[in-house]
Amino acid sequence: MHDLGSFLMQTLQGLFYLLIFPGGLFALSLGLLFKGVDRKLEARFQRRVGPPILQPFIDCVKLAGKEEMVPRGAPRAYFVYAPLLGLVGMAVCAALLPIPGVTHGMTDMGDLLVYFYLMPVPAFALMMAGSSSGSPFGALGFSREMTIMLAYEIPLLLVILAVALLVGAPASAEFSLNEIVEFQLANGSFGLNPVMMPALLAYLMFLPGTMGVPPFDIPEAETEILEGPLLEYSGAGLAFFSLTSAIKSIVVLGLGVVLFFPGTLPGGILVNIPWFVLKCFMLMLVALTFVKVASARIRIDQAFRFYIKYPTPLAALSLILVWVSR
Amino acid sequence: MSFISDMTVRSPWLFRINAGSCNGCDVELATTAFIPRYDVERLGCKYCGSPRHADIVFITGPLTVRMKDKVLRVWHDIPEPKVTIAVGICPISGGVFRGGHPIAGPVDRYLPVDVNVPGCPPRPQAIMEGVLLAKDIWLERVRAQEEARQSLKKLGARPEEKKEEPFIDAGYL
Repeated sequence: MHDLGSFLMQTLQGLFYLLIFPGGLFALSLGLLFKGVDRKLEARFQRRVGPPILQPFIDCVKLAGKEEMVPRGAPRAYFVYAPLLGLVGMAVCAALLPIPGVTHGMTDMGDLLVYFYLMPVPAFALMMAGSSSGSPFGALGFSREMTIMLAYEIPLLLVILAVALLVGAPASAEFSLNEIVEFQLANGSFGLNPVMMPALLAYLMFLPGTMGVPPFDIPEAETEILEGPLLEYSGAGLAFFSLTSAIKSIVVLGLGVVLFFPGTLPGGILVNIPWFVLKCFMLMLVALTFVKVASARIRIDQAFRFYIKYPTPLAALSLILVWVSR
Repeated sequence: MSFISDMTVRSPWLFRINAGSCNGCDVELATTAFIPRYDVERLGCKYCGSPRHADIVFITGPLTVRMKDKVLRVWHDIPEPKVTIAVGICPISGGVFRGGHPIAGPVDRYLPVDVNVPGCPPRPQAIMEGVLLAKDIWLERVRAQEEARQSLKKLGARPEEKKEEPFIDAGYL
């Protein structure tokens, strides 16, 4: 009986992490809010008035009421469940995310390596969507998504290895997210550590690629391949993709905060949640919004070359420095 | 339920179909959307690349014979509820091309046009007024759709599945 009780408790706790905080509702609403602020800021940078900040919420409400169409020739189940797959992957990711000073996340369920495997899930969902839509534009978007994913995963892996080796020094590597946070709380943030500066830069360059914002919005280029994989989606399916990208923004920004700036303020949960949100926001401002308004879309081969040329050597430099200094 | 329909019409996504236009109206549409002065994004509008995402569709040009089938096909790809705006004098009456041998239009012979924005090309202000008028029509449609859904629910009936248009495997690519 005791086992059953603790099992139920654990299940309930897991569901809470997954559906309400820090995954699910919290990440979802925060992500949509960030998206709205991002659009507003973009408009202000171009001296426009811009949409209301809650516009992404309104868009999702509207999409939920639209007619949903499945193209003839598309495998129906594959096409309909692709957006759900991405959303679920990202919700699990958000549930694993520790918020420094607030929650440890679902610690026993996974670490940085699980994270590394889960983070490309939305990209896989996009690939499924593109390849199953039966449209040549979708197929083009699929191939571009795969190319750019192969390019930005390499620096991400190197960054993760550098962090893990630094935390696990001198003997081994440490992949637990909570250990990483604890280590930095004790020894200073990696974002201010000269050895990890190149890795931070590489991570900042990885962000626009994984979020698909200009100049790396190549797979979903609406002016050349008609939004690629999303071309055939209407109604709720499209809304799921928008929700996925909202959670994904919190996941990748939150991971950046955890890996590089997990410092806490004295004062418990009520101070540290806004502090975490503020740090995520600053990261978004630097890596996504500024880059977005200042640049135009580049070609897929240029993007691939960029990721091989700049973030990969930077992350490798950090890795070597960490290896040498331990 | 009125809350949902009020929310819905605050996010009109726009799509352009060029039915043989001289590009004058398209330039005006791009201007209306993209330059700061007439920013339509403050109404929640967004230009989308795919007809499947669209709510309000602009048609420009006199509808040439060669474009007719393609325009109809793209228009049928737009999910309901949708609103159609004819921009410029060409889709409304044919304009200077009226009666010419390559012209199949005016557009409302084939499609239900909800708002006419005349002009050659129309001023951005006129286009924005057209968007606002289209929003009102769209609101009526969204409400009607919701009422229909609710009355179907009361009767316990399942909504009728919409028959898909036959897929034309055009060799246009």
